[in-house]
Amino acid sequence: MGREVSESCIDSLLTEMVSTYCNRFYANKPELAARRIEAIGYQVGHQLSERYTMERPRFSDHLEAIKFICKDFWSELFKKQIDNLKTNHRGTFVLQDNRFRWLTRMSIDQSPENGASEEPSIMADNKAVQSMHLYFPCGIIRGALSNLGIPCAVSADISNLPACSFVVRIKA
Amino acid sequence: MIVCVAVVGHQNNPLYIQSFTDADDALKLHHIVHCSLDVVDERVNNPKRSGPTLNETFLGLLYPTENYKVYGYLTNTKVKFILVTTDLDVRDVDVRNFFKRFHAAYADAVSNPFHMPGKKITSRTFAERVSTIVKSFGFSSAG
Repeated sequence: MGREVSESCIDSLLTEMVSTYCNRFYANKPELAARRIEAIGYQVGHQLSERYTMERPRFSDHLEAIKFICKDFWSELFKKQIDNLKTNHRGTFVLQDNRFRWLTRMSIDQSPENGASEEPSIMADNKAVQSMHLYFPCGIIRGALSNLGIPCAVSADISNLPACSFVVRIKA
Repeated sequence: MIVCVAVVGHQNNPLYIQSFTDADDALKLHHIVHCSLDVVDERVNNPKRSGPTLNETFLGLLYPTENYKVYGYLTNTKVKFILVTTDLDVRDVDVRNFFKRFHAAYADAVSNPFHMPGKKITSRTFAERVSTIVKSFGFSSAG
C-alpha cells in the first residue's frame, strides 16, 4: 500500500505553490494569498489526520491529541518528531522543530558581505517570504486538530532558522 | 448476512448509507441506523460503564433487535460506522476485521481531493470496495 513520491518533488511543489499564490494569483494581496495557502493546508491536514489516526484508540484529552501531532503525525510527515513541546496549561502550546524539513533548503540570507549591515527593508522582505512558506504547515496542523475535534488557531515563528516554532491556541 | 452499512459524520449527518438486501426495506434500515446513533453517544459519554475499553474505536454490539444485530465503531475524528447484520452467530473478530478494512476504505475515500468534508461520499470506487468487503464478511471463518 506504500506508494512513494520523491521528496524533491514535494519541495518543488510547495515552493511553486507559494510562489504562484503570492506572485500570480494574489499578487498584491499577501493576506489573501496567505489565507488561501492556509486553507489548502487545512484540507490536507484534515485528510491526513483521518488516515494517521486509523490504528489508534481515541484520545482522552487535548494534550493527548497534541502529543499525537508532535510524535506520530510529525514522524509521518517529516520523518522526525517535534523536538520541544511547551504549554501554558491554559490552551496554548508551542511546538518547536529544531530543523524544519521544508525550510532546510531555504537560504538564510543574512549576508554581511557588504560590510554595512543589511537594510532593514530587505530583511523584512526576506522574513515575509519565509513566513509565507509556513502558512501551509500551519494549515496542516490546524486541519488535523480540527478533525480531531479541537478548534484552534496556529501561527508560526521563525526567529531563528532553521528552527521553527508553531504556536497552537485552542479556542475555548 | 450484512444488510446495511452506514457512515455517519460527527454531527450525526449521514455520509454514506448502503443496504444490501433485495427487499425494499431501506427506510427501516435507515431508521435502525438512526436509533443506533443514540446508543453510540451513550456508550461514549458514559465512562462509568465502559471501563478499560473507553477509548477503543470498536464499540461492539450496540443493541440487538428481533431480527438484526447492530455493531458500532467510532473513529478518532468522531465519524461513526454502523453495521447491521442478520447473522445469528457473528464472531467478534470478524466484525473487527470488517471495520478495519472499512476504515481503510473510508480513509481513502476521504483523501479524495474532490470529496468535500461533511458532504456525502459519492465515490464509486468506495462503493465497490465496500461491496467487496461486505461480500467477504464471514467467509474467512469458514474451514
